[in-house]
Amino acid sequence: MWDRRAFLKSSGVALVSFGLGPDFLHRAASASGVSSGTSTRGKRTLVTIFQRGAMDALAAVPPVGGGELAKLRPRLAMNAARGSADGALLDLGVGFALHPAFADVAPLFRSRELAVVHAVGSPDATRSHFDAQDYMETGTPGRKGTSSGWLNRVCGELGHDATPFRAVAMTSALPRSLYGEEPAVAIARLEDFRVRMPGGERGAALAGKGFEALYAETTEELLGGTGKETFDAVKLLSESELSRYRPAAGVRYPTSPLGESLRQIAQLVKADVGLEVAFAESGGWDTHVAQGTAQGSFARRAEDLSRGIAAFWADLGERKDEVVLMTMTEFGRTVRENGSGGTDHGHGSCLFVLGTAVDGGKVHGDFPDLARGELYEGRDLPVTTDFRSVFSEVAEKHLGVSATSELFPGWRGSRLPLLRES
Amino acid sequence: MRPKRMTAMSALYSLLVLSPASVRAEIVVPRGSGAPLPYREAGLSEREAAAHLLDRLAYGARPGEIDRVVAMGIEAWMEVQLAANAQEGALARFLTPLPALAMSPRSIVETYPPNPALLRMAEEAGVIERQRQPGRESVDADPADAVDRREQRRKVAAWMEREGLKSERVLVAQSYAQKLLRAVYAENQLQEVLADFWFNHFNVSITDNAVRNYLLTYERDAIRPHLTGSFRELLESTAKHPAMLAYLDNFQSIANPGQPTLAEARDSGAMAGRGRGRGAGGTGGGPGMSGNPRRPGGGLSGEMGRRAETGTSPPPRPNRPQGLNENYARELLELHTLGVDGGYTQTDVVEVARAFTGWTFLPAGRLGEEGRSRLERARRAGMTGFVTEGEFLFRADGHDAAAKSVLGVALPRGRGIEDGERVLDLVASHPATARHLATKLAARFIADEPNAALVDRLAATFTATKGDLGAMIRAIVSSPEFWAKEHRGQKIKSPLEVVVSSLRALGAEVDNPFPALEWVAKMGQPLYAYQAPTGFPDRADFWVNTGSLLARMNFGLELAAGRIPGIRFDFARLSGEREPESPAAALEMLATRFLPEREIAPTIEQLEPLLTRDDLSHEVAARAPEAPELPAFSPEDELGSFADLADPALAMGSAVGDGLAGPRERRAPGDLSQRRQSFERLDFYPAPVAMHTGVEPPTVFAGVAGLVLGSPEFQRR
Repeated sequence: MWDRRAFLKSSGVALVSFGLGPDFLHRAASASGVSSGTSTRGKRTLVTIFQRGAMDALAAVPPVGGGELAKLRPRLAMNAARGSADGALLDLGVGFALHPAFADVAPLFRSRELAVVHAVGSPDATRSHFDAQDYMETGTPGRKGTSSGWLNRVCGELGHDATPFRAVAMTSALPRSLYGEEPAVAIARLEDFRVRMPGGERGAALAGKGFEALYAETTEELLGGTGKETFDAVKLLSESELSRYRPAAGVRYPTSPLGESLRQIAQLVKADVGLEVAFAESGGWDTHVAQGTAQGSFARRAEDLSRGIAAFWADLGERKDEVVLMTMTEFGRTVRENGSGGTDHGHGSCLFVLGTAVDGGKVHGDFPDLARGELYEGRDLPVTTDFRSVFSEVAEKHLGVSATSELFPGWRGSRLPLLRES
Repeated sequence: MRPKRMTAMSALYSLLVLSPASVRAEIVVPRGSGAPLPYREAGLSEREAAAHLLDRLAYGARPGEIDRVVAMGIEAWMEVQLAANAQEGALARFLTPLPALAMSPRSIVETYPPNPALLRMAEEAGVIERQRQPGRESVDADPADAVDRREQRRKVAAWMEREGLKSERVLVAQSYAQKLLRAVYAENQLQEVLADFWFNHFNVSITDNAVRNYLLTYERDAIRPHLTGSFRELLESTAKHPAMLAYLDNFQSIANPGQPTLAEARDSGAMAGRGRGRGAGGTGGGPGMSGNPRRPGGGLSGEMGRRAETGTSPPPRPNRPQGLNENYARELLELHTLGVDGGYTQTDVVEVARAFTGWTFLPAGRLGEEGRSRLERARRAGMTGFVTEGEFLFRADGHDAAAKSVLGVALPRGRGIEDGERVLDLVASHPATARHLATKLAARFIADEPNAALVDRLAATFTATKGDLGAMIRAIVSSPEFWAKEHRGQKIKSPLEVVVSSLRALGAEVDNPFPALEWVAKMGQPLYAYQAPTGFPDRADFWVNTGSLLARMNFGLELAAGRIPGIRFDFARLSGEREPESPAAALEMLATRFLPEREIAPTIEQLEPLLTRDDLSHEVAARAPEAPELPAFSPEDELGSFADLADPALAMGSAVGDGLAGPRERRAPGDLSQRRQSFERLDFYPAPVAMHTGVEPPTVFAGVAGLVLGSPEFQRR
């Protein structure tokens, strides 16, 4: 279990041997807003997972009873009768069920930490992955020229000092959601976030010292300032605690890119480095062909997402109060199956919101009456809740960002109540 | 001064000698004058001037290049660059292995079909089973399917080999390769710098499925031919290229329901009837082109409409009411010409959009051919109003022919392609456009925040020369601001500039460009993949953040240590076969070579103390037993994690449901074992091999070189 005192102690030893004295620690600590005793603890974090490819909401959280779904997608619909015991839908008791692959997060629904928002999405009807992701990440559906992403604008509204790790994307390139004026960093692997010299740690440390000296003394302000931030950040994250870090007892993340991302986000949360906005991706949701039912490509994606989220939540332990996790996907899929055992691009989908202050154990939103054919263009789950209603709710209640018109220019909708006041 | 009495050259010279404030804004800089550039007035020597030009109008100096430029003459070098007259040497050899560079759009789509089309072709050829089978019972993917898919892949690969087909990924890789190789090796460096600038100005993204197949020809045919030519022509060629028409959706923009289309206007208007009743382009869309543009399928034949999602035709949205799409119009005004404060209104946006209705392109491949022949037959039968130029198609039956008013100018009713072309005239010659472009060019070549007087003068040149882009460059290098001390060495290099200038500074050979390209992405510049139409911002604070700074430092270290596969260089060449006698001497030599004519004293001062301590030198040389081994590049991974860039769908993490490769799992970062095996080999270049592999530490010399390449000074130009 990672322990902050150990960090201070061990890295102090490591650095003094290279000629850097203890007052560096003070600088690094104050740079991150940490002083002994108080910390960036208490700062809240929003973790977003973008499911790229358009998740099939009706496979993830199907309505139960009524048999409408079975008529519309005879081979894909699942029900208690169809699957075997270990493939049966997980009835949530609220008229909806979870796909069995979501077994690991089902308890979170029951403990009322997890909420589903159904029939949520974008008012823009594009079925282009590229455009729809663009619209959702910029928070301006229908407009392509918005340069900043909504999460970057969230950072801009946070209104207090930032550490270099305020906004982190566990990706190799900065996602659209984080484009913008506020600094944000894309890190594929935390252990790569340092000066690396091939052939040895000592060489790397020396090179690091060399660079630090150069950047500290450069007359170019931006390079100088960012250089200092960089080295402070690297020290904050120095290898010694990373290699010692282990997830909480009993927690096992899936060994997938998403699992890795969530594990590292948990690490950052617990490392008190001032993380406020985190971004991860989950791919492979574009199930046009043979998406399967209890098994298959959809089930595999769902299981990865579910196990990752469950592990993350358990790993956070007592830090849960500080974190809200929210998923999103660019649009949903057709209600009817296609001729290849899959589904095609649709419109509305569903998302998950997880947090101790979330009004969980419910399926929020306004689900259509499938029996009356309330479909979008006769083919898709409609959108009855604009995604911005959810995003703005989370931004306000969890992060205290209420400047909705800044976050979502041109939008005049209202927030969907999802979190308790706190 | 009476220009008539003096030669143009001396007139210009005397004008330039005057202080900037007295230079009249109406000066037209004559072409080919070779007038002296005002670097002496700014206190620069010839060598300093050459270094500055190479930093700003090229990707940095190669060993010995400053000498060559000085020997040639500063102004002479400038003329050669403006005229793109330099004799290319090694470059041709590097580009020859890339067949797509010379292919027509038609050949490209035939050779590198988009994945959905490829799948369909494979089905039609009977290579794989039809994906749609009514009797197919189970929809569960069972383990046997994985084996089936491998078998399918093998069959498809063999079939593709027989047919001479390659995947789009192989096409994309060629765009990336040529971009880096040109930047490193071209003698006509200014062309490369300008190609990067103007592509970025008219940005499209390779991550867009509809754009990808057209990106190579967009850069080659729409952007590159006009770099120092006429802005108006550049603008039009981007407006008519399928890449832009797809990216900003104009290809499916047609007149709103209720608006008369051109064909109808002609029917009922002043033009004499064609005597064929509704045949000559009535609401049926003209003979030979079946389908109402407003029907699903966008007026393309039913076949084309059905193929909507295959990527071989511009995909209209099924069941969606067809009409006006404002995206291109808005970005044309906001980004390409007038600029966000250019003084246009939302109404102008709509009117411009109306002017461009019907501007679309013929789908590539067989369907496009059918469309072309139908158009031809229709023309012979007397249909008018439709225009084709290469892939570009103007559809009279989709064009809103009612009167319009754009930026206060009336466009009368009943006109066709002339509407859009008139709008291009208007915006290209608008004073706000002159200012907007002047600002962007000044930012690229002079300073992030160019001063107003400079922008005014450049804008005046733009207007006076009717948008001559070569004249703009000439005006820039003729301006005092270009040479002013406060601006020199102050621009932050983009990641591409860091990588290329490092390679040039080392005199490196690029045996395989892909590993180096990967670093450009790691530093925060996914080439061709900036998703917004705004293109990469030209601002220091966009490029400089903690993650990217680390990447720049690590790049310098790895490059200098010879650890980047595909890159070869020889320090002995750099040091002139004379080994430096001490680390400090090495530092001095390397800083002088990599940062010629720049202020290197602070860099040397900072690093020297770290090098002269004996124990430090020993430490660097000492072996560290727990050193993590850097993953070696295996021949199967020519692209390495760059595969993400070459396969943008993978980069986006979305599975483009093509069924060909099965659902795409993102591999764990750094986990080579899960790397998707190359579907086909990229054999343009030898498999990339690093000069040094294994765990031995680099020499002190290499360490110092790495420090200089990662230093703040080297991040600037």
